[in-house]
Amino acid sequence: MKVENLPLEKKYHDAVEHWRRHWMPDYDTLLDQWEQYFPKDERFCLCAKLELGTPERIQVGDHQGEPKRSKPDELTEEEAKHLLAIIRAQASTEFGSIQQHAGTLERAQDDEDRFWVMRVMAEELRHGYQMFHLLLSQDWSHVSGGVKGVEMVEEILSMQTGSHVLDAFNVEYDSFVDNICFAAIIDRVGKYQLTMQKVCAYKPFADSMPPMLREEAFHLAAGVIPLRRWAQRAAKGDPFITLSVIQKSINKWFPRGLEMFGDERGGDTNVKFGFKDMKNREAQDLYIEELARMVRDINARYLRGRFPEYSPEKVDLVLDELERSRGKHDGVQHADLLRLPDRRFFRRKGEPAWTLVGVNGESFTGVDEYQEHLARQLPEAYLTTRDLRMYAETLRRVVAGELSVADAIKKMPRLKRVGGTCPCSRAVRWVLEEPETAPSPR
Amino acid sequence: MPRVATGTRIRPLDELDLGRVVQIDERITGIYRPEVWEQRVGYYLRRDPEASQVAEVDGKVVGFMLGDLRAGEFGLEEPSGWIERFGIDPDYRGRDLGKQMFEALCRHFKDQGAVVIRTLADRKDAGVAGFLDALGFEPSALQALEKRL
Repeated sequence: MKVENLPLEKKYHDAVEHWRRHWMPDYDTLLDQWEQYFPKDERFCLCAKLELGTPERIQVGDHQGEPKRSKPDELTEEEAKHLLAIIRAQASTEFGSIQQHAGTLERAQDDEDRFWVMRVMAEELRHGYQMFHLLLSQDWSHVSGGVKGVEMVEEILSMQTGSHVLDAFNVEYDSFVDNICFAAIIDRVGKYQLTMQKVCAYKPFADSMPPMLREEAFHLAAGVIPLRRWAQRAAKGDPFITLSVIQKSINKWFPRGLEMFGDERGGDTNVKFGFKDMKNREAQDLYIEELARMVRDINARYLRGRFPEYSPEKVDLVLDELERSRGKHDGVQHADLLRLPDRRFFRRKGEPAWTLVGVNGESFTGVDEYQEHLARQLPEAYLTTRDLRMYAETLRRVVAGELSVADAIKKMPRLKRVGGTCPCSRAVRWVLEEPETAPSPR
Repeated sequence: MPRVATGTRIRPLDELDLGRVVQIDERITGIYRPEVWEQRVGYYLRRDPEASQVAEVDGKVVGFMLGDLRAGEFGLEEPSGWIERFGIDPDYRGRDLGKQMFEALCRHFKDQGAVVIRTLADRKDAGVAGFLDALGFEPSALQALEKRL
């Protein structure tokens, strides 16, 4: 495993640095205290990392066996357009997640949890930087509709929660519980996407994946380990963290995570072009299976906290029995434990978009009744958000027949320039006016 | 990513293996200590997530081996693979799972440029000592020293 570290051209590097000063005010604290929280770990480097020694030939799709492409103009126009959209969307998600984390980071109860999330944010920044490297190191102008690299970078840096490409990155966090559940649920989709893209027929993109995946492994741990600890505290009666609070956050993020895979019926183009090795539904099924394992693991930790005298085998038996009977065991009801919502619950994209399916798979006939159900299942602070209000208004129009499902799906945000209050909306040109200093990836 | 797996499989550790790692340790030592393993697994996943391995039999994790690549410690400048912890569920011993996990770690360390693999062992623990001998570990000039305080 050998990795090449590459900086962006200075003006772009500075633009990213400028952006992070707005959205990651604790960045310097993270670097200053790195040794305390991550002793002996390699220092953080804001740079693009390319894996060396990866496969030279296309692994899947119509061009399987041919040499991998190293420049956009070696792809067909359709392929290059499709890949450009993937890279821009990925870049948007990386910066978007930092903005979301920033909103509630300071509410962490525990310094270790906070520093873990800060490291996650720094590594997401590096992932966004990586995508900029892909956008800027080659000429995409023949498929970008005339949009230049500098404009693509500005466009992405100007986005804020609400204007990102994927819905999961347009939802504000309500509390630090969201920081953790997001890492466990949404970053897991990231792991799937990166893993699928390791085969990509465009070699610079494929070579970008392994270093990102190595960092993603910690992001998932930064979600799951605090959840396990919270389950233990909940089991011991801590009134400030309960499984019910965690469940509501799972209900909020799981539907958005499923939608990040794309429509269940799609994904053929990615496989045909050799960009990914799985179609959407196949990957989504595996994701659900993996999350079910996560939920069971946390429930087991909870039960062991409630019944310290039980052996691991006894805990497994109790869990099996509660899942089968949906009943009660010595004061613990099945409904007290965590569970994954039905995959059709609260969906606004994909096959079950805008259907009235409840968290347990039950069907609703009226919007009012469904919205009351949502109000019971989602975090209280989320109920008053713009995102949920827009969802509710759109749902009402779909159910009333005033808006088709297809049109409702199209109402979701698109990649576009938005004016923000932050000068970063002109980031690249703005930093050009600063004094020249050498770029210094850390 | 999960796949329906039958038979034996060796794969890199992930964060969802924690529960089974805790269980295996408890079966071996009789001590339930999830906090210890959350720290250790978190440590290895952030440092070198492809190094540490688990053994699965019919989809169930039955063994683990944790390690990472280090250089510059104790005056050892050359990159060395270090194995810190391992455990096999007592019901699944005698199937060469430890050896298979060790070989997977060795491949990873070699790919990263290591020329030596190191560990520390309590020679009074005959089971562990015998296992390490069987893997080809030999006494090293580098000796572990200690002084009681």
